[in-house]
Parts: sequence; C-alpha cells; structure tokens
Amino acid sequence: MFKILGGLLALAVGAGFVGSLSGLGGGVFIVPALVILAHVPMYVAVGASLISVVATSAGASVAFVRDGWTNLHIAMVLECATVTGAVFGAYLAGTIPAWVLELLFALTMLQSAYFSFKKKGDDILPKGSAIAERLQLGGELPNPGGEPIHYGVTNLAAGGSLMLAAGMLSGMLGVGAGAVKVMAMDYLMHVPLKVSSATSNFMIGVTAGAGALVFLARGDVSTVIAAPVAIGVTLGAFAGSRVLPYAEVQWLRTGFVAILLLIAIEMGWRALSGI
Amino acid sequence: MKAQDEDRILRVWTPVILRTVLAAAGIVILIGLVGMTRIPGEYVDHFHAVQAGQRVSDYGTLGDLLGRAWDGDPRSIMTVGLMILTLVPLARVAFCLLFFIKDGNKPFIFFTAYVLAGLILGVMLGRIG
Repeated sequence: MFKILGGLLALAVGAGFVGSLSGLGGGVFIVPALVILAHVPMYVAVGASLISVVATSAGASVAFVRDGWTNLHIAMVLECATVTGAVFGAYLAGTIPAWVLELLFALTMLQSAYFSFKKKGDDILPKGSAIAERLQLGGELPNPGGEPIHYGVTNLAAGGSLMLAAGMLSGMLGVGAGAVKVMAMDYLMHVPLKVSSATSNFMIGVTAGAGALVFLARGDVSTVIAAPVAIGVTLGAFAGSRVLPYAEVQWLRTGFVAILLLIAIEMGWRALSGI
Repeated sequence: MKAQDEDRILRVWTPVILRTVLAAAGIVILIGLVGMTRIPGEYVDHFHAVQAGQRVSDYGTLGDLLGRAWDGDPRSIMTVGLMILTLVPLARVAFCLLFFIKDGNKPFIFFTAYVLAGLILGVMLGRIG
C-alpha cells in the first residue's frame, strides 16, 4: 500500500511543484502523470485533478487577495462565464470518448506552450469601456515605490466568450485552463499581466469546483486517488511558490515549454493510436 | 459603497474563509487516509479496481455517506473531506452574495447568485447524468 500511496504522493508533489513554478497549475501535469505513469483511466485522472486544482487555487490565492493583486470584481463577473462552461464541460466529459478528451488535452498543452512563449508586457488603459466603468471593474495596481497605478478594463464580451471556452476546457479536462484565462484578461481586456495571473488563480478554484461537484455527485471521483493527489499537489505548489523567487525565469520558461510539448505529443499519440 | 471599499472588506474576509475551509478539509482527508492504512488490502484492492476501469465510487445518498463516515469508515471519511474541499469556492461565493445583498449592489447580487446557482446545478447535473 505504501508503495502505491508514496508513488501517487510523489507524482502529485512533482506536478504541484512544476505547475506552481510554471504558473500553469498542477492540473496540467497531474492528469498526464496519472494516465501515463499510474495507468489510471482518463476520467478518474480528470476528477482527481479538478479537486487538486480547487485546493491549490484556494491555497495560492490567499496572499494575492490579501496583497491587492486579485481584482475581485472582474473575477465575479467573469466567473458567470467560466462556471457555465465548466458545468457543461464536466457533464460532457462523462459522455464523450476518452480519445477525444486526450486529443483536446494535447491541443490545450500546445496552446499553453505557445502562450508561455508569447507573454508580453502590460498595455494599461487609463479608462475602460462604458460597461466596465459602470460595473467599476477597473482597479489599482499595487506600486511599492509610489502611488498605485489605475487601470481600465475593456472588451468584456470578448473576454467573457473566451472565459466560457476556458470553463469548458476545465470541466472536460480537469485543468485550471489558467493560460486561456490570463490570455483573455491580458490580451483582450487589457488587465495588467500580474493582476490577470492573480485573478485567474482566484477564479480557477470556482471553475474547477463547478466541475469537481459534477464528478463527485456522479460518483466519478476515486477517493483513494483524489485524496493523496490533492494533498501532494498542494504541498508541491507550496514548495514551488517558495522556490519561485530564486528561479531563473527564462530557463524555467524554456524548460516548461519543452515539457508541455512532450506531454502534448504523448497525449496526442495516445488519442490517435487509441491506446 | 464604492468598489474600493467593497474590495477592502472582501480582501480581509475572503482569505479567512479560504484558509478555514481548506484546513478543515485537509484534516478530515488526513484522518481518512490514516484510517485506511489500518485496514490491510483495502487501499491496494480499490486502487487496482480503479486501474481496471471498474466503477470507482458509489456513495449512495449524502445521509448514507455521512452515516458511514460517522461509523469510522475511512473511505467515507476521505470522501467527506473531498466534499468539504469542493465547498471552498462555494463558501467564498456564498459569502460574496450575502455581502452584496447587505451592500445593495444589484449587478453583483445577480453575478454572484448566478455563479452560486451554476455550482448547485453542477451537483444536480452530476446526479442526473
């Protein structure tokens, strides 16, 4: 028993650690690790991953919320789209074949790899669109050296549409889909990158929670796998967040893009060859 | 109330809710996991059944599950812990809904109520599906 439990914990700690360092979350790494290395069916891996994503999001977002990086108002508006997508994504996950999920997972890995390379600087708007201003979605960027920097928000409808897709991916594949969420806020809505990342991390908990509830209610969560995975991923993510300030960002990014591409190839191959 | 004032209050209470529910879930899961190590073969048999693609869980009703957990069944205790864990976002959204109702912020009452309804629909869809 301790061999299996230890192996699962080691996989989960590793996935949480790498996911935290890369900013992509543990779900991206734990699903392929469980499918490829622990020989667990895809839907079981997805259920376990969704629960671990809830745990890591809750743990990691505490500091971001407290320090003012998370834009709580944007999160609550966009969660309407991600929750809708996540609930239907999780519902669909129980009805579509495993090879389709594996292929979608491979494509999501490619998108995450592309996004990791294409991250750009901030394009801050002093004033947002009329609807965003009415909802008071703009915020202030913490600036330790001086006055907080005000930013406006725009393209709410386009951002919301991409959030719907992010929610569906999360519910179907058990990942946080953080890369898609950050892309929607950063590229489309002009939210500063650090605020986008912190807000995405906060939202991931609700998105994954919506999917996890579907899996739990359906009885598709294996307790003996999900429990050690949740504990391991959370511990790994905590360790990763401690190491991150001392890590060389450019090397990290290159390494993670390579890992994502390898996972995409492996999952894509499994999907196409029907393993 | 201005958005900045709302933010200030939410930034104090949201981390408290997240930490409390997370800690409670972690303790319950660990109790179940430790309990499972005391029953020879239970963990390994279930793990191999999952690998073989057998139906992984059959909780019955929530009452059955809580009853088994109360009687000390480790797998039921772990399941209750996982359920508490999935309540983290639900608790946070419910708190925001109550806060916005008290504040009379109509658009955000709608947004948070919609998210809460979506999470509850998640449970219902799981039962129907």
